[in-house]
Formats: sequence, structure tokens, C-alpha cells
Amino acid sequence: MAAILTEYLDSFVRSCDDKKLIAIPLAVLVLSLLVSGFVFATTGAPVKLGMEFEGGTMIAFETQESAEALALAYSAHSLVDTRKTGDRAILQFGPMDGESQSELEKAITSKYSSVEIKQIGALYGKELQTQALIALCLSFIGMALVVFLIFRTAVPSLAVVLSAFSDIAIAIAFMNIVGVELSLGTVAALLMLIGYSVDSDILLTTRVLKRRGSPDENIGRAMHTGVTMTTTTLAALVVMYIVSTFSYLVTSSVSQINLLSDIAIVLIFGLAADLMNTWLLNTGILRWHVRRSTPRRRRA
Amino acid sequence: MREEEVPKGLKNDIRVWLLIAAVVLSVVMIGPGYSAEEGLNTDLNYGLDLEGGSWIQIKLQGAVTQLDADISMLVTEIVESAIDVPIEILSVTGDEGEGYSNDGNTVTFTTSTYVSGLQMDLLGLGQSDISYSDDASSIVLSTNKQTLIMQYLSRALNTEVVPLFVGDGVEYEIRTAISLEELQTLMVPVGGNVLAGSDGDVIFREGVRTETRDMTRDILSEKLNSLGLKDIPVRTVGEEYILIDFAGTDLTTAKEIVEKPGKFEIRMQTTGNESVHVLYGDSIEKVGIVTQMDGSWNTPFTLDEEGAFALQKIAIETGAIADPNSHLLYMYLDDREVYGAPLSYSAASALNEHPIYSWQASTGIDEDGKTQAEQLQIHLRAGALPVNVVLMGSGQVDAALGDQFKRQVAIAGLFALLAVAVVVFRRYRKKEILLPMVGTSLCEVIIILGFAGAVNWQLDLPAIAGIIAAIGTGIDHLVIITDEVLYEGKLPSTKVYMERISKAFAIIFAAAATTTIAMSPLVVMGFGALRGFAITTIIGVLIGVLIARPVYGKVIKVVLDKAE
Repeated sequence: MAAILTEYLDSFVRSCDDKKLIAIPLAVLVLSLLVSGFVFATTGAPVKLGMEFEGGTMIAFETQESAEALALAYSAHSLVDTRKTGDRAILQFGPMDGESQSELEKAITSKYSSVEIKQIGALYGKELQTQALIALCLSFIGMALVVFLIFRTAVPSLAVVLSAFSDIAIAIAFMNIVGVELSLGTVAALLMLIGYSVDSDILLTTRVLKRRGSPDENIGRAMHTGVTMTTTTLAALVVMYIVSTFSYLVTSSVSQINLLSDIAIVLIFGLAADLMNTWLLNTGILRWHVRRSTPRRRRA
Repeated sequence: MREEEVPKGLKNDIRVWLLIAAVVLSVVMIGPGYSAEEGLNTDLNYGLDLEGGSWIQIKLQGAVTQLDADISMLVTEIVESAIDVPIEILSVTGDEGEGYSNDGNTVTFTTSTYVSGLQMDLLGLGQSDISYSDDASSIVLSTNKQTLIMQYLSRALNTEVVPLFVGDGVEYEIRTAISLEELQTLMVPVGGNVLAGSDGDVIFREGVRTETRDMTRDILSEKLNSLGLKDIPVRTVGEEYILIDFAGTDLTTAKEIVEKPGKFEIRMQTTGNESVHVLYGDSIEKVGIVTQMDGSWNTPFTLDEEGAFALQKIAIETGAIADPNSHLLYMYLDDREVYGAPLSYSAASALNEHPIYSWQASTGIDEDGKTQAEQLQIHLRAGALPVNVVLMGSGQVDAALGDQFKRQVAIAGLFALLAVAVVVFRRYRKKEILLPMVGTSLCEVIIILGFAGAVNWQLDLPAIAGIIAAIGTGIDHLVIITDEVLYEGKLPSTKVYMERISKAFAIIFAAAATTTIAMSPLVVMGFGALRGFAITTIIGVLIGVLIARPVYGKVIKVVLDKAE
């Protein structure tokens, strides 16, 4: 699959001019920003915040009862959402006071087995929000600084940073469209994305700037390596996603591992976006930059 | 011929030996074992989400600030609210400046009702001389500003307020949640305000001092220890949070343990091993900060009225006031003796006349005495925390579920590695490349786990996600090395090969540097579960780049040489 993809991408990159190469991912980026911007305008956050950032209580346990029956049974507490995957029910509650919280926990732990509880105070959630935002910004700035230190030229460095930014923006837009909430796991995934996305960009930029040969040849070779890298990672992530999300289809009592499932799905979106951003956006900008400056450097 | 040379090349390479040593050491650290009852087991520590248990995170509420107020207004407010009759301030002597003064102030005031010495003592403002004429009382109070401010605030807010002298002034730690606006409003009736620093900003921050945070942590640890729960880690997270992990305990029990104070009791020796009950912990109103007086360390504490009278009564009944040395005073926490000493002669003779509210338990003059005094400070609180806390977050994963997560993660990891192997094999179609690549990744996993075992790291789900992230970039880097080595489709001469390897490593180091930098804010900020994730990722990347991947570069050449 990787080989076919590389071949197709390679011939596409060779046949298109730089402007067209850059235009496609930029259009997707703008579209993504619009989606997240719309969500931001309507809800006040660029992506739906999960329980860890909103505050509330999540209780999951094993039961044969239906979601409707459970929703009815616990409607007295500020029940927000009831879901059922296999034999596991997941109840989501809004913030409540300490006493009713303890009561609820006692009632559920004494009645059901394989209980998982997670409770985050609304205030703490607010604090986590700010911290996550700061972490994301600092990570991005740190990454950008390292990239500039490595290449020491403005255009190639900017291209790397722009495509990393685009990866994150598209991943967030996807989260909005598919309905993945922002949790600690997904924040981790977005941070991982910074690391993964820069890998292939650095490979591409180094090969094109520091190797002999025509830009197209260098790009082709880099693409061969880079697409393999991304597809191996994607393969691992798809497997991780399937195991952590759909195991209950095999044994219905098995729980989903939300943290891993969240990380995997966001990284899958992000790395798919990275394929486009590295080999169209970054490549387009880089090729334009090299062709613009080569004639002057070419030796007679 | 060639085949003999090749292994020699590897054998002489220190990096290869380093990797082998690291893997062997890691296996020892992981300590895999097999027993009939438990099946396969290791020495690795798992986090609560894999082992089962619960966690509680609490936030310490409080504020630290510098304040000023008017002395006569402070005295008026405090005394009038206690005796419900207006008072008239006649004079205030002494330094009334903003700073701390050792000399203190003398406030003289009168009121049209009878005020007893005991009433004044209970206010805790300082020494007072009272003279009576008809129904009126005339009082000369020796006090100082920081005591007045402290008493005013602790009454108004019903909490402890602890003054501390810092450089040029007095810093007050208010041990309950209060906003700057609330505090400013509160200071208006006493003609006071929140002081501003030299930069013009008001001196006020939410939270408590580091010492207070640590004391709260120690009290919690002590309490859990006294319940026999020795291995429960109580950690501070950032300035204001405390996180407690309860392995193998459900959340309901965990909350009860944190909320329930211990049973503190003071008893007095009658004869021999016999003793009588004096009071319980609820009679202890306040526990002060450990101080050194006349060379001896001691822990001050204050009794409420009931407690003070009970102690006086028992001291008289047992005869301790006449012969303190044969009627020792003992303190018990959860039926364990934590302190035992005779009453001082001055206290014993004073008890003859009146009950004593303010006590000091002295522990000795050396470092040991200091440690004991600090311990006693914790014991006296009987597990009651010094500051108001609010529950910020909590969670529970029961053991069966943790087990299942563990299995599932192992399956996910195994299948993910298999998927990677398939993709790599389809790309290169050579088992000579596939095996070293998968082998290197396995070595990296083993070393990361070994490291985790060596430093007693708790492997929880986020940490495992971090390991997966490190392995993911690892495979990427191995692909870069392989493609660089096989640049034109075939293996080059050794000289060219060395050049290519260094080019590959230039890319890899750059990529590893960006990943490390991108993760470091999480390590420094240290919030929530993501810290473990970031640290494992960084350590994994470093182990990969410095130990495992260079060896892959060597091995791949040797193996491909052989194959050709």
C-alpha cells in the first residue's frame, strides 16, 4: 500500500506546479480553521471539551441492564449521558457536591463489578484547560525554535512549522466533525503529533537542501522513506485503536480503554493530514524556494 | 573469510556491548519470574489504572498576604464582639507603624460592664490588667499589631491565621479560601488595607506557604501510616495540590480515611501504669508552630474551656499539682503513646489557682527534640488538616478491570508491533532488515521497562502511551537509517557507508531534539497524568537515540554484507 501511495504521490508532485501543490493543503487548512472557528464561536472552545476539562463524574461498570433503564435509575443525579458498549455502561454526571458524590459511588460500587470512577472538580478542570493550552503553545514554540536552529534559513523552517501547525489544526477540525472530545489523552495525542509531524518534514528538508541532485529526485527519495515511516506508524495506531475500542465485540465484558483509543484516533487523523501537509504543502514551498535560489548558486 | 571478519567488527564495538549490557541489566531490573499461583510476574510497579485502586487529589485553600490596620479599631472590634458592650479607647502607646515592632503596644480602654480576666485571656490578645470601679472596668492591654490582626481575621473567618515575620513586615497566611476583594472588605471596619509591595501591586496570593503544604502532606502520610497503610504515596503536585494514591482500596474507603480524623487522647498517670482520661482531641482548639524557648523545643497548643477545666480538675484529683513527676501527662493517638512528660512546676502551681488554656509540650534541646516537636505538632492535630481543603478530583479502577486493561494493552502492543513488522516487510522484502528492526524496537522496550523498574517508576496507561510514542518514532528512525544506508538500492563501501550513517543520524538527532523539546513543557508544568506520559516519551527517545539505534546502524551493515 505504501509503495502504491508513494508512486502516486510522487508522480502527482512532479506533475503539479508549486502553486497548485500548496493550494490544496492550504484550502483544507482554511476549511479546518473555519470548522473550529465556528465551534469556537458557538461554544467558546475550539473543540468540545471532555469531562476532564469541564468537571464532572464518569462512572463505568459491568451490567446487563439497558442504557435506558440505567438512565432512568440514576436520573435523580445530574446525569448528562449514558452509553453502553458491550456489557459495560458508562454514565456521565455533571458536577455535584461531595456528599451526593460519595453516596452515588457507594451505591454503584456495592451493586456492580469492574467499576471505574473518574471525578474532576469544575475548578480543577478550568485549571487543566489553561495548563493544557499553555503546554500546547510552549511545545509548539519550542519545536519551532529547534527547527529554526537546525535549518537556519527562514523559508524552509517556516514551511516545517506551517505544516506542523496545519497537522494540528486539521486534527482538531476532525475531532469536531467526528465528535471526539478534548481529554487528557487527546491533548497528549496533539503533542505527540508535533513530534511525529516534524520527523518527516525534517527528513524532507534535509534531503532537499543538503543533497546533490535535482529537487524532484531528492523529494522522490525522501518521499519513499517518509511515506514508509508514516504508514508504519499509522498501521500501529490503527491496530491500537481497534484493540482499545472494539475488543468488546469479541468478549462483551471487556472495557474500552478510552485513553488509548482517544490517542490513537486523533493521531490517525493527524498523521493522515501529515501525509498531505508534508508531501504537498511543505514540498511545494520547499521546491519553490530551492528553484528560486538555485540559478544563482549553480556553478558554470 | 568474510564471515569471520564480520562478527569481529561487531564484537569490537563498544556500542554493541553497551546495548547488550543495557538489555541484560534491564531484564534483571524487570525481574521476570514465574510461579504456579500468580503465573507470569515481574518486579515492575503498575499504576492504579492497571493495578486497581483509587486516587484523590485535593487542593489546599488559603491566601498569603501583608496587611495593615488601626490598633484602636482592631481592639474595639474584637473586644466589643466578645462582650457585646461598647468600649472606649483612652490611649494607645507604642509604635503604630506598618512594620513589626518587638516592643508592642499598650492599649488602655474602659467599658461599662464587668470584664473578667479570664474573658480577656480567652481573646488571646496579650496580658491585661483590669481594675474595677462600680460596674465599669478599666483595662490596660499589652499587645501588638500582628496579634490583633491575626485574632481579628481568625475570628471573622473562623479559621487559623498564621503570622510570619518576613524581612520588613509581617506576612499573614489565612488558611481558608478568601479572595482579595473579600479580604479588602473585611479590613474596612478596622481601618485597614492590604499592603502594596514596592512595585505598587498589592501583596496577596492565593494558596498557602510551602511549609504548610508540606505539613499537610506529612499529616496525611502520618495518618495513613498509623492505619497500617504504609505504602500509600502522598505527593505534592505543584504548589497547591496533594495527590494520594490508594493501591487496592476503593474510593469510598479512601475518602473515609482522608476525612476521618484520628482519635487523640490526653491521659494522666495515677499510680504506676494506671492512668485516667483527661480529654479528647476535640478539646484541642489550636496547635501552634514549633518554637525554641530557653534552648528547648516545644509545640504550643491551646485547649478549649472544657478541656482546660478538665485538665485542672484531674491534675488536682491525681495530685499532679503537688507532685508532677510521679503523675505524668500522656498523649495517645489511636491508642498509641506519642508523648509523655510531667507538668512543669510553674504550670502545676498555676493550676492550683485557675485553669490554663495555652500549653507548651517541650521535647528537648537537640535536633532530636526538634523532630519530636514537629511530630507532636502533627499528632496533636490528630489527622485534622491545618488548612481547608477541597476535593479537586478522584478516581477508581477496580482490580479486575485493571487486570483486564493490562492484558488489553499487552495485546494492543503485540499486534501493533506485528502490524509494523508487516508494513516493513512489504516495503523491504528482506528478513535481514526486518529482524534487526523488530529486534531493535524490542530492545528499546526492554530498556525503557528496565529503566522504569530501576527507578521504581509507576507504569500507568499514560506512561504506556509514552512508551508507544517512543517506539513509534523509533521505527521511523530505523526506516530513515535503512533508507539512507541503501541509498541507491545497494549497500555502499564502508567509507561511503559511514558518511551516510552520520547523515542519517543528523536527521534523527534533529527529530529527537524536537520531540524532546515539544514534550518538556509537560514535564516542567507537571500536571495530571500527562507528566508521566511526557517523561516516558523523552526517556524512550533518549534511550533509542543514544543506545539502541546506533547499534542498528552497525548491525544492518553486517547483516546485509553477509546476505550479499
